[in-house]
Amino acid sequence: MAWSLPRKVSAALLAILLCTAAATAIFGYSKFEGVLSSLVRSRYSVVVFSIKKDIEDRLALGLPLRQLRQVQDAIEREKIDQPQIQGIEVFDAAGEIIFDTDRGAVGAAVSQDWVQAAQAAGHQTFARSEEDSLIVGLPLVDVLGRVVGAGALRYPAASVAEEVRPLLAGQARSGLILLAGFAALAVLGTYAVLAPFGRRLAAMERQLQTTMAEGGPPPAPADNDPFEARFAAFAASTREALEHMQDATQDVGRLDRLEVRE
Amino acid sequence: MIRRLAGLVLLAALTLVPPAAAAEAPKPFRIYMALWRGWEEAAQGFKDYFANQNIPVELIVRNAAQDKSKLPEFVAEVKRLKPDLVFTWGTTVSQEMLGVIGKVDPARHITDIPAVFAIVSQPIEAGLVPSLASSGRNITGATYLASMETQVNLIQSWRRFRHLGMVYNPLEANSLVAIHELEALGRSVGFTLTALPADLADGKPVPASIAAKVAALKAAGVDILYIPPDTFLNVHRDLLTGAALEQRLPSYAAAENPVVTSKAMFGGIYRYYTVGQLTAYKAEQILVHGKAPSAVAIDPPRRLSIIVNMPVVRALEFYPPMKLLGLAEVVDPAGAK
Amino acid sequence: MIRLDSARSVILRLMVLAALVLLPPMAIIFAGALGDFQQGMEPELDRKAATIGRDLAGDIAHAATLGIPLDRLVGMDEFFAPVLESNPELRYLALTNADGRILFVAGVQATVLAPHYETADFEQAGQRKAIIDAYLDIAVPLEVKGERLGHVHVGMDGGYVPARLHEILIDVVTVLAVAMIIALEVLLYVVALNAAGPLKQISRTFEAARRGDFIRIPAPGARDEVGRFIRTANDAVCRVDELYRRLIAYAEEVKSAHFDKGVVERVAAIEDRIRYLFRFSESGSPEVVHHRRALDVRLPLFLFVLSEELSRSFMPLYGGTFSLPGVSPEMVAALPIAVFMAAIALASPFAGTLTERMGSRRVFLLGLMPAVLGYLLTGLAQAEAGLLVGRVATGIGYAIVTMACQSYVSKAAIGEQKAQGLGVYVGAVLTASVCGNAFGGILAEHAGYRAAFFASAVLAVAAGVLAARLVDPAETVKARREAGVGALFRLLRNWRFAVFVVFAAMPAKLALTGVVFFLAPLYLHQLGWEVADIARILLLYAGSVVLLSPAVARLADASGWRAGLVALGGLIGGGGLLLPLLGGGTAPVLLALLCLGVSHGLSASPQLALVSDLCWTEVQEIGRTGVLAQVRLLERVGSIAGPILAALLVPVTGYAGAIAALGAIAMAMAVVFAVAAVAYGTGPTIGSDAEVRP
Repeated sequence: MAWSLPRKVSAALLAILLCTAAATAIFGYSKFEGVLSSLVRSRYSVVVFSIKKDIEDRLALGLPLRQLRQVQDAIEREKIDQPQIQGIEVFDAAGEIIFDTDRGAVGAAVSQDWVQAAQAAGHQTFARSEEDSLIVGLPLVDVLGRVVGAGALRYPAASVAEEVRPLLAGQARSGLILLAGFAALAVLGTYAVLAPFGRRLAAMERQLQTTMAEGGPPPAPADNDPFEARFAAFAASTREALEHMQDATQDVGRLDRLEVRE
Repeated sequence: MIRRLAGLVLLAALTLVPPAAAAEAPKPFRIYMALWRGWEEAAQGFKDYFANQNIPVELIVRNAAQDKSKLPEFVAEVKRLKPDLVFTWGTTVSQEMLGVIGKVDPARHITDIPAVFAIVSQPIEAGLVPSLASSGRNITGATYLASMETQVNLIQSWRRFRHLGMVYNPLEANSLVAIHELEALGRSVGFTLTALPADLADGKPVPASIAAKVAALKAAGVDILYIPPDTFLNVHRDLLTGAALEQRLPSYAAAENPVVTSKAMFGGIYRYYTVGQLTAYKAEQILVHGKAPSAVAIDPPRRLSIIVNMPVVRALEFYPPMKLLGLAEVVDPAGAK
Repeated sequence: MIRLDSARSVILRLMVLAALVLLPPMAIIFAGALGDFQQGMEPELDRKAATIGRDLAGDIAHAATLGIPLDRLVGMDEFFAPVLESNPELRYLALTNADGRILFVAGVQATVLAPHYETADFEQAGQRKAIIDAYLDIAVPLEVKGERLGHVHVGMDGGYVPARLHEILIDVVTVLAVAMIIALEVLLYVVALNAAGPLKQISRTFEAARRGDFIRIPAPGARDEVGRFIRTANDAVCRVDELYRRLIAYAEEVKSAHFDKGVVERVAAIEDRIRYLFRFSESGSPEVVHHRRALDVRLPLFLFVLSEELSRSFMPLYGGTFSLPGVSPEMVAALPIAVFMAAIALASPFAGTLTERMGSRRVFLLGLMPAVLGYLLTGLAQAEAGLLVGRVATGIGYAIVTMACQSYVSKAAIGEQKAQGLGVYVGAVLTASVCGNAFGGILAEHAGYRAAFFASAVLAVAAGVLAARLVDPAETVKARREAGVGALFRLLRNWRFAVFVVFAAMPAKLALTGVVFFLAPLYLHQLGWEVADIARILLLYAGSVVLLSPAVARLADASGWRAGLVALGGLIGGGGLLLPLLGGGTAPVLLALLCLGVSHGLSASPQLALVSDLCWTEVQEIGRTGVLAQVRLLERVGSIAGPILAALLVPVTGYAGAIAALGAIAMAMAVVFAVAAVAYGTGPTIGSDAEVRP
């Protein structure tokens, strides 16, 4: 099916509208989530930092990491204080868990990826994500400046977005309605802008057909529009050419017949 | 008190590397440890470091038990066993086994096996190394005395002072060195030092003179009393710190005893355990990373252990800044109130 | 009233419409969403403040347990300072005693807080959070052995959340601006292709008909109202044509069959009169002409260049995530850019001959294949080698596609002002670079570098779909002598040309790839800017080129003052790049980019036109496309050298120093060219606007 011009233009406009809305929504939400999750991470990193400080002070007293029994109590206290925390673990440089809020995990190994992250982090926090939890960790640095392990805190990944999701869902619904409204406006607007254009083309078309068929007067140049002026001139000269041809044909015919008759 | 727990793991000391770890690593490094006063915290720190870093080591531990005559036997044994590295504890063991510069005899000393020393207070003065940057020999190690600058910084971080006081034993060379250093430092940092020697009688310092000297310092407007690591003062620490408390003069000690078992207000020291760990770190540089011992500098641990005597602080109402309090180990047997 | 054959008036209205339907709903939705975001973030901020407060309260309680009276705590400023420093949303910390008296405070004047603390009753849970001036105050109780000693107050910046959300707004505004530009491109394309273009063609037929010329009619194109109108007009022409043919056939018949010489003469006279008044096609019916319009290729070209420009702002950063043993990190980051430029340089002569032989449409599609493959390889690369192969493939594709478009545009632009015609090409490339840059930065920041390359592949495919469907397939194919190495030497013997290439074209590209493509992103990244921001900063360059270029193109056409503009541009650009010497920070970089943009804006389109002026005879011999291809080939030497030279400089001079060093080189070359440009006028005169038809 052939598409009329307003249809093509409004399709293009709608496509642009849709893509723009999608892009802004995705980027906007992604930025928001980024800001929010960095905020959440920084909050938990405060917790990890206090644990780190506690452990490092004790390490500085010359105690080996695995003998800092008080750390187990400290991390369990933190978890009770902040129930959203899924778990806190302290592991040594080899990745063996020394203390864990989940006591059953003590002695197990964390993934080598964490160990490397801790080694690379220096004094900075490192972040990791697992299936449905996020991890923020801080390396433990001893008096020699060596990373002897790390403390890591595990918190639910979902909690970040969950709180705002209902709000945003409502927002998305009203946004879609609004978009639909403006999409309709776009279509109407396109037709409004291009309708006179189409009408004038149709009018010129009819004009030309009449001029050519009935030999009516050529259309008067309208509106100072050079195109319409050119069109009028065209219609006139075509008509004129047509008449010339017809006259000439008649003349030739007349000459032809005249001689035959004679 | 907590740190003494470390001593309790002494039992574990002689069990060498756990078999599991040995199976993983094809060949543990063999380290010959020559000790002077038996297994203590520096040795423990040394051993724990390898365990924490997962470096398999086989420790051959020998204790001289403060008997110098055993040391040549140790040297002979080292030459026979050919370990990868030798660890020497203290100035005497280090001097006897590694040799003093200019008098190193390959027959009597260990020269072809890299060595690390620990708990040597003044390696240069002891003739072990020409400079702390590089030994120029097949040895390196860790010192355990805090530099005067570090100590002054620590005191300054408690409270800025203009006038430091000191009572000393004029017969103790170490104290004279300390005075010299403090004066130089005072000129650059901007404080004055008033150092009063204890009175001498029969060529010996008189303990009874200490209190008067402290009072004199107070009268001279001293802000803080500096207590050097001096045997005489250590023995009579109660007299000295008691006098300071009486004069309401805050006191800083460069040793543990005046703070922990007496009435000095605070002190800054390096723990033997940490020194042992640092020594192990240097051993790791040599064994694992293949550095030449002469390329590994000789230095103390980075972080000073700060001990605060809380009852004295409360009595003086001279409170530590929050930051320092966070870093310090607090001695507070009775607790507040 | 809408002018029927001019896209401009229709586009203007449609753009107003686009703005009306695009901007308000986005504004409304985001105003709503920002409120929600703010609400969503506040509880999290409160929780963080409470966590920090509890932590501090714990330490203070420890001191209190040791018997230190609360009001005699020491070093509280030093205690609070690092916490304030590492948490930018915190503005102050304070400690109050049980009576609400402020004992210690850091970050704000105590007098601001005191009135509130003295009256508030923190025992009530509802009073733990308060708004004081522009601050949000969270009070955390300080307890020792069950005794309430006071409170730790954590004060947050009330403006923190709005400020972070403001960053979202910048991204959204950028996306909207890009969307408006893309809307403009798409609408321009749709309208030009479907209405303005065909009507312009038919109006040529109208014009011709008025002079009695009924030889050519345009192809009617789509079956929409425009197509119908054109068909009707064509029918009219055809009708005249048909009558004419009948007349001539009749006249011939009469002439050949008639015995009366007088009649034959009179019929011949009538025929002569008609032939004198009107002209018709000799092929037996009006010739259907498939016109080429430069604008037809604009959208495919735009999309393709857009796909490449997406990675502009972060290519060196992405390259920097790889490593090669024994090669400096700067060089590892520079190599992908350099090999891309080298691939373009080496593929260009080949692409030039290819277009001369195969025609633009097929070459365009051919070039897309390596380009898309290259994007995928780049996006999937696990090592530097893979990345380099990907970039080489895309470079080859880029050379082929852009060459196809250039040739298309330059042929279509015959008869129009040439600089302005080429402006369509330059315009599409520049607009795409603005959009691609801005959008790519945001895309990379949110979706990652690799995802941006997949988006590039999608865009390139879209360009191919448009090109396959819409670039006119019927193309007059004329074999031409190859513009090979011989041509290169032939051109270089022309001293004007040689001077132009070495001292104007090459340094311009050197500065472009060395600074804009390589050093600026890395330097800005080092200064702490995020990718999306870096992309926006780079817009200063592309934006000023876009804004200046069209006006300069007209000026150059009107005045013929081309060498002068090129020389002026070179001086401004070289000078601007020296600015980072004056001081560190972002501002000098911004100015340098702006100057470089102005520089290239002044010289870009005059350069293209200047080549034809300088090499008039050579153009006759090897063709315009051939000559331009040689210019492109030669200036790529600068493009390749840019990042390599910069990467060598960085370890020695740092980023700012490297920018200035490239600036110094560009400046020195520009001075030489300026001197030479004066000398240009003294040689044999050149037919400056002479058109060269193949």
